[in-house]
Amino acid sequence: MSLKNLTIKKFAEGLRNKKFSAFEITKEFFGYIEEEDKNVDAYLRLSKNSALERANKVDVEITKGKELNILAGAPLAIKDNILIEGELCASGSKILENYRASYDATVIKKLKQAGAIFLGKTNMDEFAMGSSTENSAFKTTKNPRDLERVPGGSSGGSAAAVAADMCVAALGSDTGGSIRQPAGFCGIVGLKPTYGAVSRYGLIAMASSLDQIGPLTKTVEDAEILFNAIKGKDSLDSTSVESSKFQVSSFKFQDLKSLTIGLPKEYFATPDFAFDEVDGGRVGGMSKEVVLAMQEVIKSLKSLKIEFKEISLPHTKYALSCYYIIMPAEVSANLARFDGIRYSRASSSKFKASSLKDIYFKTRGEGFGDEAKRRIMLGAFVLSSGYYDAYYAKAQKVRRLIKEDFEKAFKEVDLILTPVSPTPAFEIGEKTEDLLLMYLSDIFTIPLNLAGLPGMSIPVKNLKSELPVGFQLIAKPFHENDIFEVGKFYEKITGVDNK
Amino acid sequence: MPDLINKKTLEYLAGLGRIELDKKHEEKMLGDLQNILGHFDELKEVDTEDVEPLAGGTIETNVFRNDEGFKLPADAKALAGRQVSSSNLTKAFPEKEGDFLKVPPVFE
Repeated sequence: MSLKNLTIKKFAEGLRNKKFSAFEITKEFFGYIEEEDKNVDAYLRLSKNSALERANKVDVEITKGKELNILAGAPLAIKDNILIEGELCASGSKILENYRASYDATVIKKLKQAGAIFLGKTNMDEFAMGSSTENSAFKTTKNPRDLERVPGGSSGGSAAAVAADMCVAALGSDTGGSIRQPAGFCGIVGLKPTYGAVSRYGLIAMASSLDQIGPLTKTVEDAEILFNAIKGKDSLDSTSVESSKFQVSSFKFQDLKSLTIGLPKEYFATPDFAFDEVDGGRVGGMSKEVVLAMQEVIKSLKSLKIEFKEISLPHTKYALSCYYIIMPAEVSANLARFDGIRYSRASSSKFKASSLKDIYFKTRGEGFGDEAKRRIMLGAFVLSSGYYDAYYAKAQKVRRLIKEDFEKAFKEVDLILTPVSPTPAFEIGEKTEDLLLMYLSDIFTIPLNLAGLPGMSIPVKNLKSELPVGFQLIAKPFHENDIFEVGKFYEKITGVDNK
Repeated sequence: MPDLINKKTLEYLAGLGRIELDKKHEEKMLGDLQNILGHFDELKEVDTEDVEPLAGGTIETNVFRNDEGFKLPADAKALAGRQVSSSNLTKAFPEKEGDFLKVPPVFE
């Protein structure tokens, strides 16, 4: 059985048709990872024993003739900020190096019930703060499409594991683009669900009003399968939402004609969207490869008779500033719990600490990387008296204006299309010295987190350039289904093998 | 415009965040923060008069329950399966005495 392009769907069929057993294929995956991951560095840790044990259980159920969930036996990779009971969970940080999760995240509990298998935990930027995995305290993951380049971040390990066929699919988390941007860089599919669609219980929080867990997969259909398995109300996350809120749409091919997709004029220089050598693609300054890729995808979708319409999102250009005030404010509160006592095993004697406060200063000074420290201090600053109104309160107001921009646009269109990132994957080390340049790589993804909207990164097909480029489809809240339907038709007409 | 953050503010913020700063990195950290804060100036041009702040969330309604134990069987069941066993938690204590967490003195 080839692991190449093995999707959840193909895996489930193979398992049912007895082409392989869950145990055999899990073992094969570990063998392959041992070789391939020397180059890619996607995984932080593997859980061989528990994975093989769980695979065995699935095989026993098959012999008993039990009805199987579509995810039964599916070997998945899990981002290292999602808790699996009994396993190490470091969130890419030295401060949590020895932390062992004492319970399962709700998404893990649901996937365990479905019979899925967890191959291991994937690398990420520390506490999901970054766009390249270069902020990981442990190692830098490489982009499987070009090992000199970053896989994106912060869910870079998950994206690279999927792209290099070191799992059938993966989970990541997205606070400002951390699922969609690495999916785009690695040429795979990544979904950030509507805020509240998936329970955040057991996700190590970065910014609670922005974080969402979502799937990274090889096809749109797989993303749909994984999303449906993890979504829904959870009594342990009060921001999660009843499934009845979700809009189920099932388009037939002829229905596509009645669809309208919006193109924000602030991103696309002209309606026919010719590349402007001087100004790139305006906001975010799209590179030429990205402009050409967007032209290609618009052409394909037009062939489905989908109508395109110019819309305006005038406040999204402020999204980056708005995000870098709100997110650090929440970070400074969320990271306060890492005090060197809870969630860690550093003893006071190690630091020769004479008081409790001493332990806090020493563990946090040593345990957090630069980006985490920067964001904690920035957060404390924008929340401090005298600056609160000028920064935090102002950003919250701009956040509402950004959300209202989308609400207005969605009165006229069903979906919105943008690039995922202004450029394809950049080189390792290229942006580590220039913070703002690094932050800019999330310019097209951040507005959705601020507005709570769902968005998916889908690889553009038929590209002339070698590096993958993703396009982003944005839907109304709880309309993930609209994205799935259009995404699946796009894959069909561009020849993605879904069988 | 004078810099919003100087070395003294930086040390104050590090104190609030309970972070021991590496002296060698202080200068770079200060420069980075000044840089980022400078970028936020663009927000001044946005007219936000009469705009209500948005804290987040998709559905802006609060979630309430009565201030009492769980009575609903569904919830009780959901929670029973989810209780974190206390031994899992005490196992994670860096230092302990019996089942108690041991830390250095809080007051000097």
